[in-house]
Amino acid sequence: MKVKTLYFVPAALLVFAVGLATAQEMTKDQWQQEITKYTSMLDSLRARVKTLDADITSMGTKSSQLDADYEKCMNELYALVGSDAAKAAAYRSDIESAENKANELSRLSDADLVERSGEVDDLAAKVKSLWDNKLSLIPEFWDRLTALNEKVKGLQATLANQVKMYTVGTWARNRDCLWNIAKKKDIYSNAWLWPKIWQGNRDQIKDPDVIHTGQKLKIPKGSELNAEEKSAAKKYYARKAGK
Amino acid sequence: MQKKNGTAIVLVLAFLVCSSFALMSCSSSPDEAQMKQLNDLKSEVTSLQNDAAAKEQQLGNLQKEVADKNAKLKKCADDQAIVKQRLAK
Repeated sequence: MKVKTLYFVPAALLVFAVGLATAQEMTKDQWQQEITKYTSMLDSLRARVKTLDADITSMGTKSSQLDADYEKCMNELYALVGSDAAKAAAYRSDIESAENKANELSRLSDADLVERSGEVDDLAAKVKSLWDNKLSLIPEFWDRLTALNEKVKGLQATLANQVKMYTVGTWARNRDCLWNIAKKKDIYSNAWLWPKIWQGNRDQIKDPDVIHTGQKLKIPKGSELNAEEKSAAKKYYARKAGK
Repeated sequence: MQKKNGTAIVLVLAFLVCSSFALMSCSSSPDEAQMKQLNDLKSEVTSLQNDAAAKEQQLGNLQKEVADKNAKLKKCADDQAIVKQRLAK
């Protein structure tokens, strides 16, 4: 009896376990419910995708139309000022060059800026010519030119505050004497102001008739001789006349 | 006493075996082809869900693009008005 029970117990348990496992698989009813559910989901999704495709096509068409409308509007804008897209592109490029030059000059030290003061003058002239173009009336360019104007004014203000320097060249090549130096366009454009240079550099120039190559002369600001400079000039001419 | 215990054990085991057979006979399952049909359906639904999500994203991008272009077009029209004012001065 004990031996028979020993074999019968595990066999019976095994059969019970298989029965239980089989009972947990999907039934036909459950399968049918799943089929119905997923079929419905599929139909909804197909309808949704169809709607999305239509919306995408419509948006794409709208986007293309807007491109055409924008191009037309811009051409009309340029035509208002007697220009066109190609000229506007070239003008835009000119402004960008001027902006780059302004930025480059802004990064210089004050001493270097004085050395390159001619470039500041050129930049100011360039900005003026850009303003003279009717394309400057377009807000895109107007705003950029306004900002550029401010930068140029800043550079010019910096220069105005600096003491200009001039390095004496040779007589043979540059004909540099105080008279000719004062006559230069970027100095005083007026030879009669030579005493300003003399008086501003008394530590270097004992005799105004004698200057040396390589001397770095300060060029004082002003467009007229002050009292001291006039007096020095008078004495010089008197001494010359006396000789 | 030993005889009574043995009988009890046999009765319990017999019950287990009978109930197993009862459980097995009560449930009928879908066949292999039917399960494949269901799995294919599930795959198709997943695929369409992904497709729909991608198209939603695409539509969203297009809507933003159209909004940006509308803004640019409005600015162009405003610029025309400004230039006309400046020309009139």
